[in-house]
Amino acid sequence: MGFRYTMIGAALCIFIFYLGLIFSLFYFVGGKGFWEALANPYTLFSIRLSLFAATIATCFAVIIGLPSAYALSRFEFPGKRILDTFLEIPIIMSPIALGASFLVFFNTPLGEFIQHKGIFFVFEVPGIILAQFASIAGLATRLMKASLDEISPRYEAVARSLGSSPWKAFCGITLPLSFKGLLASVVLSWAKAVGEFGATVTLAGAMPGKTETMPIAVFTAIASANIEKAIVLILILVAFGLFTLYAIRLTGKRYRYD
Amino acid sequence: MINIQGLTILFESFKITDLNINIEEGEFHFLLGPTGSGKTLILESIMGLRKPHQGRIWIGEKEVQNLPPEQREISYVPQDLALFPHLRVKENVLYGIRARNLNLKLYEKYIDDLIEVMRIGHLLERYPANLSGGEKKRVALLRALGPKPKLLLLDEPLSGLDLSIKIEIQHLLKTLHSSFRPTTLCVTHDFEEAYFLGDGITICIDGRVEQVGRRNDVFRRPKSRKVAQFLGAKNLYKAKVLGREESLQRVILGVNGLQFYIPKSLSQETFELGTEVHLFIRPEEVMIIREGKSVKDSLKQNIFEGKILDTIDRGGYHMVYFETTEGKIRFEISIPNYAFRNLDLSIGKMVRVALREESLWVIP
Repeated sequence: MGFRYTMIGAALCIFIFYLGLIFSLFYFVGGKGFWEALANPYTLFSIRLSLFAATIATCFAVIIGLPSAYALSRFEFPGKRILDTFLEIPIIMSPIALGASFLVFFNTPLGEFIQHKGIFFVFEVPGIILAQFASIAGLATRLMKASLDEISPRYEAVARSLGSSPWKAFCGITLPLSFKGLLASVVLSWAKAVGEFGATVTLAGAMPGKTETMPIAVFTAIASANIEKAIVLILILVAFGLFTLYAIRLTGKRYRYD
Repeated sequence: MINIQGLTILFESFKITDLNINIEEGEFHFLLGPTGSGKTLILESIMGLRKPHQGRIWIGEKEVQNLPPEQREISYVPQDLALFPHLRVKENVLYGIRARNLNLKLYEKYIDDLIEVMRIGHLLERYPANLSGGEKKRVALLRALGPKPKLLLLDEPLSGLDLSIKIEIQHLLKTLHSSFRPTTLCVTHDFEEAYFLGDGITICIDGRVEQVGRRNDVFRRPKSRKVAQFLGAKNLYKAKVLGREESLQRVILGVNGLQFYIPKSLSQETFELGTEVHLFIRPEEVMIIREGKSVKDSLKQNIFEGKILDTIDRGGYHMVYFETTEGKIRFEISIPNYAFRNLDLSIGKMVRVALREESLWVIP
């Protein structure tokens, strides 16, 4: 039994560790500064901005990630392994380095051309979306690929033998069958986008009321010793996080079709 | 008619070369081969999921090897069935008709008939998760037949079923085939299944077609040792051509000093004297002679005396292991239970066996 208790004990330690961390935040909750910080227009702006940017970034990640995930899951093609490995770039690369790479890119002739003829990214809201997209696209693709991998390609094979085009088989069979898994991937990617800090702050800066997302606002609040504001924002981030986990739990339940 | 010509598939360690299969309209054709011989690859190439290295496929007048699966009119029932779990049985069954935008009205009667033969009328509103193994098979078959395909492909349709359900589905396939006559190509490793259901059989071993023929020919007259062994041939002996009786149109073969008389028409080629060949007889074709009973003329040529070494009750029949006194040749003999009891057989008993000339077969 010693073995069993050691293992379960370790699991409990992790649980208590995180729970303690969250509970410690409540030490400062309820003071006058706390409610002021919550009602502060800049705080509300950063919440809105975070949700907006993360949602747009997630949409782009799905638009490009879902077909990519399908290709990686179902087809063999030259360079597939390299492509698959590259999905991990944002994971192995420091977020600051990722953001800095964008700054460098927008100083190349091509980057300057894009900025002058198209959209401004550096120190602008599109920069936030781009930075968040860059940090979640690989993850979203990887997670969606895992969901598609779970669905046997034979369903599509049968659907096609019965007369469905590849598009029809994908939309009518594979997509509904993997929907729960895909949804969980999207929710998780969105949560990661909401929490993105390093790349965002490097590319879009930290201008309150303009490019200050929630994690950036936490950082600036701490830097200026505004503990109450920081805690308000952290609690909101934690709430979003817990909501996300709950949503994934819901989607994680296997649908039994009965 | 389905005509597959020179199909060559190279995939990882699998190599299937120059596969030719002809299937008449309404025929139940079996592609029989050992497990792991690439049979599923062949099916996937026929239905268009895999591009073969070479080869042409005709479905009637239409050459289809360059068409995508949805334009080939070939329905496919995979081994795992792949019933769409998010669709009810009814929606599964109608999937093909809807996918092809066919007029459902024109198919109503046909589908109703199929539902009746398959006895799934009471399951139509259920989801596949709530069906038993046998019910799932029936639904999958019906779904495949729904859009009236030109060819039905079955991948090991009876594998993974309990014996009672297996027998039920086997009979159902037979009824289904005799009522609707779909042109069918079924791959399996189970030769009993092929024997029960098949009109024609193609035997494919190590990526090569070893024999094509009607089922009786294939089972009783294997062309090579490979085929005989794959078909579970038990009584296969090395023999030598000792002589010919031209007047009686017979060949004499020697096995361990014993002589076997075989009608000339039953060996595939005219073997030279002294040629080494193989002699084959199926276990159910060896007769144990009842003591004191007279023997028919056709049996008189090949009678051997010996001892029963062992008997095994196989449920539906008995397996008797017999060894000739002279030459020590061992035979496996399968006999029905009633015959086993009537003959009062036991280990150590001396008996005589007779081989009908026509049941012997010579393989190079």
